[in-house]
Amino acid sequence: MTGLGDRILGLCLLVLAVAYGWVAQQWPEPFGGTEGVGPETFPTMLAVVLAVGSLYLMVKPDADTQWPVGKTALELVVSIIVLVIYALLLEPLGFVISTTLAVGALSWRMGAPAKSAFAVGLVSAIAVFGLFNYGLSLSLPTGLLGDF
Amino acid sequence: METLGFLMDGFAVALTPYNLMFALFGAFVGTLIGCLPGLGPANGVAILIPLAFTLGLPPETAMILLTSVYAGAMYGGRISSILLNIPGDEPAMMTCLDGYPMAQKGRAADALAISAIASFAGSLIGTIGLIMLAPVLARFALTFGPAEYFALFLLAFATLGGITGKNPMKTVIAAAMGIMISTVGIDISTGTQRYTGGVLELYEGIDFILAIVGLFAISELLFFVEARMGKGRSKVKMGKMTLTFKEVVSTVPTQLRGGLLGFIAGVLPGAGASLGSFISYTLEKSVLGKKGRFGEGDIRGVVAPEAGNNGAASGALVPMLTLGVPGSGTTAVLLAMLISLNITPGPLMFTQNADIVWGVIAALLIGNVLLLILNIPMIGVFVRLLSVPPMYLLPIVTMVAFVGIYSISHSTFDLYFMILFGVGGYLLRKLEIPLVPIILGLLLGPEMEKNLGHALILSDGDWTTLWSSPLSIGLWLVAGLGLVLPTLVGPILRRRMRNAIKEGPVSD
Repeated sequence: MTGLGDRILGLCLLVLAVAYGWVAQQWPEPFGGTEGVGPETFPTMLAVVLAVGSLYLMVKPDADTQWPVGKTALELVVSIIVLVIYALLLEPLGFVISTTLAVGALSWRMGAPAKSAFAVGLVSAIAVFGLFNYGLSLSLPTGLLGDF
Repeated sequence: METLGFLMDGFAVALTPYNLMFALFGAFVGTLIGCLPGLGPANGVAILIPLAFTLGLPPETAMILLTSVYAGAMYGGRISSILLNIPGDEPAMMTCLDGYPMAQKGRAADALAISAIASFAGSLIGTIGLIMLAPVLARFALTFGPAEYFALFLLAFATLGGITGKNPMKTVIAAAMGIMISTVGIDISTGTQRYTGGVLELYEGIDFILAIVGLFAISELLFFVEARMGKGRSKVKMGKMTLTFKEVVSTVPTQLRGGLLGFIAGVLPGAGASLGSFISYTLEKSVLGKKGRFGEGDIRGVVAPEAGNNGAASGALVPMLTLGVPGSGTTAVLLAMLISLNITPGPLMFTQNADIVWGVIAALLIGNVLLLILNIPMIGVFVRLLSVPPMYLLPIVTMVAFVGIYSISHSTFDLYFMILFGVGGYLLRKLEIPLVPIILGLLLGPEMEKNLGHALILSDGDWTTLWSSPLSIGLWLVAGLGLVLPTLVGPILRRRMRNAIKEGPVSD
């Protein structure tokens, strides 16, 4: 079937629109009553617009795009995981170490030789850390390296 | 002559050493952002917002910085068009047509120099247009009531896809999603909690800055990972400058035409810089006819689109500054900066924050001169930086985005949210859902709801008030056209743009 991507998107958005609109109807009427517009008026309108749009997508989808498969898809997932781990380790490990690892890993996965990838990571981490902590006096987490 | 007085005040703001320093920095960074493929102007400006914010810059300095970046990015786009045959940003697409052939003939240095001059001329014409048009439009916009504003916001969304947009329904969907995200948090007028799910971090709503940075920067990284373009492409040699003064003078009419057309395209809703450079290129081609050798490295084929897209860039600031309704991705990001500086965009800005508005306009003029200086003698620096392969560049840019978002709130919660937006942005871009309407929805959603509320309170809940004045009816009509025209005219225009590019001997 052509346009499968758009159809799936349309279905997801329809579910979203219905859920969004339904939630809006559950709010208690604000104290003192409403004058014309309550908190639910605008969301209800949006839910209707999105529902109509998603139905249109399901009925008249565009041609499918190329989705990454196999190794490329894996690389994408790896990149996202690297980003999440970066956010996770930023505070415990400190900025310099976690940035070296994250920038290095990303550059390496994008095709740079491992050694120069991590070297670039280290240099950029130290440069940005220096600029922020000493130049702009905004504190980035020091983590394992302690205060210096 | 009132305008001139304001402009002088603007110069007084922009010419302080502190602001001048930031304008120079912005112009440099902007050119860099523009010339590096994979770092578009909207993306680049978005990454700088958190930095401007955490540095605690005064509002006028922050705006001067970002406007200089914006102007610089428009200059920078041409560098990679000419040397690599890939546009650094979308409006620079047309510059490839004659710029790259010129570079292949060993005239790369000339092409870069003349395009810098053309950018300067286009931008200057655009800024003069902005100075003349903006105060008039702002005065007119003071007559708008809440109902007119509501219609105007709808118009902005409807025309955002542009006449060349592919599927207007996807623009509508994107806008609705953006506005929906903006409704998360405590409702300002009633205090009702909406869609927070009891999560404390969501009570104040979702910070649009992290949404913007996530949508642009992270999704761009993922796109590069997918395309495996880490190594970059080979570049043409620079060669010696052989440009003569006579040659520069011979392109003056082209520069004027291009700049003016670009400005008009920039102001009009639904046109924008890409169409501006396309129109000025095609017009130039038909004006000169057989006399020009377009597509083979004609110097005027470089001048016309560059003057056009820089004129359009200044033109696009007109609706953003006067109405608070941006017409392009980058101006939407500039609007985000204004809102986070607690400045209400719109006509009142011209009276209440005159120093900022005129400071920005003066900075645009000064920035232009700075850019011309940066772009002719110092072009070698940018060319050398162009050879930094994306496999090092994009991870570093992503890291800077992380730092920026982290330094706003010092919470890792925001970082997860940003990654989530990035992944979402990647998926949506793959499905050809445009991101700019989402961002505009995030920014304008609260204003839209507020105006709807005011209009209905004034009319005692009568919904027909939304289309009762001639002005609002007009706005509704244009909004309707904005959705219908792309399906009628769009395919023709798109085909023409494609054909124009195919005619170039270098494309494969």
